[in-house]
Amino acid sequence: MPGRVRALGGLGGHVGAPQVNAWEVLVQQTINGLTRGAVFALIALGYTMVYGIIELINFAHGDVFMLGLFISLSWFALLGVTKTLVGWQLVTILPLVFALTMLTTAALNVAIDRLAYRPLRRSTRLAPLITAIGVSFMLENIALLWKGPAPIAYPDVFPSVDILREWFGVDSAVFITTKDLLVVGATIPLMVGLNYFVTRTRWGKAMRATAQDRETAQAMGIDVERTILLTFCVGGALAGAAGVIQGMYYNIGMWWMGYQAGLRAFTAAVLGGIGNMPGAALGGLFIGFLSAWSDQYISARWTNAIVFAILILVLVFRPQGLMGERSPDKV
Amino acid sequence: MKRGLGWSALVAALLVYPFVDRVLGFQTVHAVSDGMIYVLLALGLNIVVGYAGLLDLGYAAFFAIGAYAMGLLNSPVLGSPFYGHPWSFWLCIWIAAAVSALLGVAIGAPTLRVRGDYLAIITLGFGEIIPVAIRNLGDITIELGSWRPVERLNLTGGENGVNPIGRPYFPGVPFETDPVPWYFLILIIGAASLWAMNRLRDSRLGRAWMAIREDETAADCAGVNPVSTKLLAFALGASFSGFAGSVYAAKLQAITPGAFEFQVSIMLLCMVVLGGAGSLKGVILGGMLITLFDRVALAQMTFFVRWVGRTVGVPALVAADLTLWRWFFFGLGLALVMLLRPEGLAGRRLRPIPVGDDSADAPAPAVPPRVEAIPSWLRDRMRGGGGAHGSEPILEIRALTRRFGGIVALNDVDLVVPRGAIVGLIGPNGAGKTTLFNVVTGLIRPEGGRITFEGTSLGRLRPNAIVARGIARTFQSIRLFPQMTVLENVLVGEHCRLAASVVGAVLRPRAVVSEEARARQRGRELLTFVGLDGKEDDVARNLPYGDQRRLEIARALATEPRLILLDEPTAGMNPRETETLTALIGTLRRELALSVLLIEHDMEVVMGISDRITVLDYGTRIAEGTPAEIQRHPRVIEAYLGTGFEAERHA
Repeated sequence: MPGRVRALGGLGGHVGAPQVNAWEVLVQQTINGLTRGAVFALIALGYTMVYGIIELINFAHGDVFMLGLFISLSWFALLGVTKTLVGWQLVTILPLVFALTMLTTAALNVAIDRLAYRPLRRSTRLAPLITAIGVSFMLENIALLWKGPAPIAYPDVFPSVDILREWFGVDSAVFITTKDLLVVGATIPLMVGLNYFVTRTRWGKAMRATAQDRETAQAMGIDVERTILLTFCVGGALAGAAGVIQGMYYNIGMWWMGYQAGLRAFTAAVLGGIGNMPGAALGGLFIGFLSAWSDQYISARWTNAIVFAILILVLVFRPQGLMGERSPDKV
Repeated sequence: MKRGLGWSALVAALLVYPFVDRVLGFQTVHAVSDGMIYVLLALGLNIVVGYAGLLDLGYAAFFAIGAYAMGLLNSPVLGSPFYGHPWSFWLCIWIAAAVSALLGVAIGAPTLRVRGDYLAIITLGFGEIIPVAIRNLGDITIELGSWRPVERLNLTGGENGVNPIGRPYFPGVPFETDPVPWYFLILIIGAASLWAMNRLRDSRLGRAWMAIREDETAADCAGVNPVSTKLLAFALGASFSGFAGSVYAAKLQAITPGAFEFQVSIMLLCMVVLGGAGSLKGVILGGMLITLFDRVALAQMTFFVRWVGRTVGVPALVAADLTLWRWFFFGLGLALVMLLRPEGLAGRRLRPIPVGDDSADAPAPAVPPRVEAIPSWLRDRMRGGGGAHGSEPILEIRALTRRFGGIVALNDVDLVVPRGAIVGLIGPNGAGKTTLFNVVTGLIRPEGGRITFEGTSLGRLRPNAIVARGIARTFQSIRLFPQMTVLENVLVGEHCRLAASVVGAVLRPRAVVSEEARARQRGRELLTFVGLDGKEDDVARNLPYGDQRRLEIARALATEPRLILLDEPTAGMNPRETETLTALIGTLRRELALSVLLIEHDMEVVMGISDRITVLDYGTRIAEGTPAEIQRHPRVIEAYLGTGFEAERHA
C-alpha cells in the first residue's frame, strides 16, 4: 500500500531507503506536491468562486470535500465495488462514481447555501461567516458520528502500478504510480471543463457578471439568486471530485480532514487572488509543493504553521493575491 | 431600586453558593469555577468582537499564552534554564496578563488595515500557529551539519504540557485542598474584570470602539484614531484572557496544548454571539448557558433519551450519547443565532429600518435654528481658535492632482476658502467633488499638489489627525453610527477634544468624571441647537432621514471645527427641510465664523448662500467666482447644458 505510507509519513518508505540521493528525494516530493496540490486546487476553486460572487469565506467548504470522500465510499459500496477496478470498469464505474459523488456534494453545497447563507445575503459581512463556521462544525460532527473518530480505510479501488519499474523497467527510487496519473487525469479535464463553462457559456457569463457587480447584473436581467445557486453547485461538485481523488489516492479518510484541507485550500485561493479562478488553481499547486517540500526539508510538524504564516503574510501585505491587481475599497 | 435588589440577590447567591453546595454535597464548585473562567474569557473576547467589531477566531491563543506564562514561570520542574525557580502566583497573573496584552498588540498590529473577514482568518491563523509552536518547542534541536548549537531544548513542555504548576500561596487559605478558595479567587477576578469592562464601555474609549465597529471610515473622519483604538481593543481583550489563562493553569495544575485549539475559540465565540455581542449581561448569560449546556444538559439529555429508548424499546436511542453531538449543537447554535436573532438573546433589539419615504408619514419638525440656542462653549471655542490668524485663507488648495487608473479625478485643482466664508463646490456628476473632499480629509492621498490649512500643510495626515486640526465633514450618503444612540454619535465627535485614557476610563478620577459630564452636557446642547432635543437616546438608524442629516452635522460640530465640509447636505430633503438646513448653515457662518466648503446640487441653495463658487468638470476647475459671475460663465453653462452637439462633431 504505497499510497498509505506516503499519506501518513509524508515521505514514503521507498524514498527513505539508503540508496536514495538528494535529487530523487526532491523529484519524489515534487510529485507528491503535485498530487496534493491538485486536490487543494479543486477545493480552492470552490472557495474562490463563492467568494467572488457573494464575498463569503465559505468556511464549510472544506467539510464538503471531506464528506465527498465519505459519500464516494458509500457510492462504491452501493455499486458493489469492493476490490480494485479492472479494465472496462475503469471507464464505466469510475466516472459514474465521480458523477454521483459530485452530484451529491453539489446538492449538499446548494442546500447549505439555501438554509444557512441565503437568509443573510443583505446582512453584514461577518454574519454569514459566523454561520459558515457553525455549519462547518455541524458537518464535521455528522461525519464523526457517521464514521467514528478513527481514520477510515478507503478501499484500493484504483489499480496502483509502479510505472517506472513495471512499464519502463527503470529502477529508480522515485516512485510514480498509476494513481498519480489518476490525479492528473481527473483534475485536468475538470479544470478545462470549468474554464469552458465559465468563459464560454451563458451561465458562466452570468456568473462573471454577478461577481463583478451584483446589482448591475440584476439590472441586466440576470437571475442573481440562480447564479449564486449555480456557483455553489459547481463549487460543491469540484469539492466532491477532490474528495474522490483524495480517497482513491491516499486510501484513508478522517472526519477532521476537511478543516485542515479547507484552510490550506483557502490559503491557495488567497495566494492566487481570491475571486481569481486560474489563480486558485495555481495557488493550490503552490501550496501542494510547499507543504510537500516543507514536510521533507523542514519538518512535517511545522508545515501547518508555515502554511498559516504564508496565509497571514499574504492577507496582510498582498490581499489581492500574488497575481491579482490591487482594487481599492470604495469609500 | 428594583435593579439594585436584583444585583444584591445575585451577589448574595454567588457568595453563599459554595457553602450551600458543600452542605448539600453537590461537589459542583470545581465545575462552576471552570465555567466562570470561560465566562471571563468570553467577556474578554466581547471587547474585541462585541465592542470593536473585530471578529477574532483565534482568541484561544491568548488564553494559551496566559496559561503558559503561568506554567513556565511557576512550575518547579521542566529542564531548561528558564525553569526551576517558581515565581509567586500573585506576580505571575500580572505577567500573564501583560504578556497576553503584548501578544494582542503583536497580532493586532498587522491586521489593522485588512478587511473584517480577512482579519478573522488572520486571527484564526495565529490561533493555529500558537498551539503548533507550543507543541514543537518542547523539543528543539538545531542541526547545522554536524554542529548542534541547540539540542533537545524544552521550552514549552511539548505535547505533554507543563505539569505540575505551583498554586497560589496566601496565609491560612487552603488552595491545595479545597475548591472553595479557588471559587472566590475567580469570582473576585471576574467581578473586578466586569467592573472594569462596564466602565470601559461607557467611556471615551468604549464609544470609540463602537464607532469603529459601526463605520470605521466615519469614525476616522469624526476624529477617532482607528489604529490605537483597535490595538487597545486587542490588548485589553487579550489581557483579560491572560488573567483567565493563568488562573486556569494554576487551578488545573497542568496544561497541555490540546486545551487551546480552534474549538475553544469557537466555543467562546458561541458564548459571545449567543448572549449578544456587545452586551455584558448577554455575554454572561451566553457563557452560563453554554457552560451549563456543555457540562450538564447534554449528559442529562443523554440519560433522558436513553430512558425514552428503553421505555419505547428503540435500541438506537438506548445507545445514544448526546455528548458526542456537542460540536453539532455548538455549530447549530451559532448558525441559528445568526439566522434568527443576530443581536443575541440579550442584545439591543432594533426596529427594522423604515422603508421608503418616511418624512411623508412622520414629518420632521423642521424648526429653524435659533441663534440663542448656539451652545456658548462652541461660540467660545470657535472664536478663540480663529481670531489669531487674521485675513489669510483658512484653506488653500494648490495644484491638487489625483488619478484612479486612467481617470483623472482631480487635475491641477486650485481652491481657496477665505476665513469665515461659504464656498460652494459644484459640477456635474463625476466631476471630482467628493474626491476633493476625500483628499482634503485624508481619506485619499493626493498624487500632487498642496493643501494648506490655517497656514500649515496637511501633508500626509490621517483623517483623524485632520479632524483634530479643525476640519470636519459630512458624507454624501449619510454615515452615522447606526446602532449607537443619537447622543453617543455626538459624543464620538467630541472624542478628539477629550482626554480620558484607559486607566482614567476604568478608575474614573475626578477629572475624568467632570470631563465626561461636560461632554454629555455639550452634546445635549448641540442636539438642541440642531433641533434634535428629546431624541438623545434614540438609536441613530431609527431617525427619519432629515434628522439623520442634522445629526451628522451635529457630530461634525462636536469636533469643534473651524472649517466644515458638507457633501450635498440637502440631498433627499423636502423644500422645507432644505430651507431649515440652509438657514442653519448661514447661522453657523454668521454666529460662529465657521468656514464652510459645500458640495450641493440644489442651485438655489448654492447660489443663495455661497460667497464664492468653484466649478469642477472632469476633475478640472473650469470656473471660480461669485454666484452671479458663475451663473453667466460660458464654460459653466456648457458643462451643465452641453454645447451644440453638431458643432462638437465637426470641430
